[in-house]
Formats: sequence, structure tokens, C-alpha cells
Amino acid sequence: MKIAIPANSPGLEARVEQRFGLSAYLVIVNPQTMSVEAVPSPGTPGQRGAGIQTVVLAISKEVDVVLTGFCSPTAMKYLADNGIDVVTGVNGTVAEAVAQYQKQVHSTPMRNKNNPEITGVSLMDGLKRSGRQIGNLLPILVGVVLLLGLFNTFISKELLLSIFSGNMLPDILWGTGFGSILAGNPINSYVIGGELLRYGVNLFAVTAFITAWVTIGLVQLPAEIAALGKKFALIRNTLSIFLCIAISILTVFTYNAIMRGVQ
Amino acid sequence: MKPDKHGIYAKIRPVLKKLIFPGCVLVIYGIAVVLNPARAFTAFSSSTGILLGLMFPLGLVFTLMVFMNLFLKPAHIAKFIGKESGARGAMLSVGAGIISMGPIYAWYPLLKELRNKGAANPLIAVFLGNRAVKPFLLPIMISYFGWVYVLLLTLFTITGSLVTGYLVGALVEK
Repeated sequence: MKIAIPANSPGLEARVEQRFGLSAYLVIVNPQTMSVEAVPSPGTPGQRGAGIQTVVLAISKEVDVVLTGFCSPTAMKYLADNGIDVVTGVNGTVAEAVAQYQKQVHSTPMRNKNNPEITGVSLMDGLKRSGRQIGNLLPILVGVVLLLGLFNTFISKELLLSIFSGNMLPDILWGTGFGSILAGNPINSYVIGGELLRYGVNLFAVTAFITAWVTIGLVQLPAEIAALGKKFALIRNTLSIFLCIAISILTVFTYNAIMRGVQ
Repeated sequence: MKPDKHGIYAKIRPVLKKLIFPGCVLVIYGIAVVLNPARAFTAFSSSTGILLGLMFPLGLVFTLMVFMNLFLKPAHIAKFIGKESGARGAMLSVGAGIISMGPIYAWYPLLKELRNKGAANPLIAVFLGNRAVKPFLLPIMISYFGWVYVLLLTLFTITGSLVTGYLVGALVEK
């Protein structure tokens, strides 16, 4: 087990810093052996991105618990998504914080996150997390479905078919274009794509639409540029446009050939 | 020591943010009811039909999500990317992309860190390409398009991601 604590200096006698991500060091303690690894914080305290860099450091060091005075909701979410527990309101020295934490969890069975067992606790965690994930996607999904009802009733088939004319290449380009602009959980692209298909839009356009939804991210482009660089992000997204075109042509031609063979 | 408590505003804000889109759609419904109640009712019935059709596949999605949440964490998945090079490394990135979950924003910091640690650009591109393949969402996709189509799309997406990865590598490092 590894416990990470933001501190003002390396070692067990260092003071616990009040804000995770703004400390000089991240002290990582193994409470069984009391061995200590002190890593200088990767970001400059106070500068944008310092918190998330400390999150990445904690994840890469495979820590199980973070003890800190305060942790921002964003950092806490990233840590929780990676199975790291966060305890806030901690003060004193690193050694005192570890001792107090151990006293607190002494009677609670610990989980090994690298070998999760389906115990009552972890199953409950899995159910809760899945419930949260479904709960997160439901409002948008319900909104999409309600919008599709309006779309089915108020938008004429003629109008839609004036955009998706039935010509393969223009339809693929429209599908790719719409899919690139829209973003979110892919489940929404399947529902919209399925309804477009029922409405008479051809499968080439629908395939391009659902492929572009995930592979091309115009909305996420600034975030991708910030994380992976302008050159990488622009080249990857441009290539993905061609990928969508190729995938929709190959998938639909093969699908039609198989279906003809079956009949 | 106690678990962190955020302010009420901090708790409500993300919920309100998620409700903006369905809220706007409900406003459009309200306008439709005033202008043409009969067609607004038809629209609502159409939506109810779509939603009912989604219930069973959504149940399967939930079950698959529980299993993936029990056994997989982003940090464990990310470890596969860039661990090895060549064909094996590419296959590990394909697998990591397929089983990855959650919004892409949550992955960018990890991908950045992995690249700083030496993960090659093509493998990161392969990972991003394979996020289009989502096993836990397959029940929904199959209910709309049938399994033959879904199988073909999956195979072509995986193959296409490998080609894109190779090209990204060649062009970025030029």
C-alpha cells in the first residue's frame, strides 16, 4: 500500500501542505515498512496545470490513498476515477498523518487495487460507479431522444433527403461533418444514426457519422492540442477524416455484399 | 479526518450543466404544445417509443459497465500504451483503447504523461482511434444496426486505427 501526502519538505517530519498540487514535495509512504519516497512536485505551485500534474504523478506512482488538507473537486475526480481514495482535512506532520490514517482504517479490510476481488465492498463500488456513469449519460440521452421525437414529427423527409441526397460521397462528407462537430458519449451517435437510417438516410452517411463522432474531435481539439501538441492533434484529426470516409465505404460495401450472399 | 465536503453550489453546478440540453428540448416541446398540440403529442409518443426500445440494451450496457468497473482502472489500462513497441505494442494500444471508458478529457493528462515517458505517437493515435470501439455499448449498436454490421464496423475501425497510427508516426516525426 502507498500513501501520498503533499508536504513542504522530504521526509516523515515534513509538514502536510494544505492544498494538494501546491506543495513542494509529494511524499509517498509505505505504512507497512514506513519507507519514504519524496518526489519534487512536477508543476510550479500556483501555475495552471500544477494540480493535474500532481494527479498524474500520484497515478504513475500507483498510490492508493492521498492524505491532504484540501483537494480540488477536479483533482479528486481524476484520483477517484483511478481508484485512489482521498482524505482531506489532514494536518500535522507526514508521520502523524499516516499514523492517524492507519488508526482510522485499522478495522476496515483493505482492498488490493491491482488484484480486485469481487467482495461486497468492491461490487458495491462497481455498481455505484456504473450507476453514476449511466446517470451521467441519461440526461443527454433523454434530451437526444426527445429531440428525435420532434425531428421525426416536424422535419419532413424531403428536407432531410435534400441534404442526404443518396449520392455516396456527398452523403459521407455530410455524415463526417455532422459527426465531427457533435461530441459526447457514442451511445447518442448510435441512437441518432439508427433513427436517421429509419428516416431513409443511407448507411454510408450514418456510418461516417458514428465513426466521426468519436474519432474526430473538433470540440475537443483545443484540449488535444494542449495535451499532445498542435502537430499531433491536427495530423491525427485530418487523417481521421479520411479514415471515416474509408471505413464507411468499406463497411457498407462489405455489409451489402454479405447481405446479398445471405439472401 | 473526514471525506471532503464541497459547497452546495459546487455540487449542483455539474447537475445543472447536464440538464441544460434536455431543458432546452423541453422548452421547444412547450412551444410546440402551444403552436400545435396534436403534433407535439405525436412527437412525445415517438420519443417514448424510442426510449422504451432502448431499455433492454441499456440494461445490458449497465451490466457490462459494472464488470469493467470492477476489473479495470484508467491507470492500469494506460500502462499498456507504449509499454512495448512493434506489433505487440500496437495490439496492446488497440486493447487499451477498446476497454477505456469515460470522457476523453480524463485521458489527456495520462496520455501526455505517457508520451513524456517515451510512449510513441503512433501508439497514442492507435489508442485514440480505438476509443470508437466500445464493447459495453455494443447491445445498443446491435439493436439498431444488427451484429453483422457492428462486427464489420469494429474490424474496419481497428484496422483503420492501425493505419492512422502508422501515418501519424510518419508525419509527426517528419
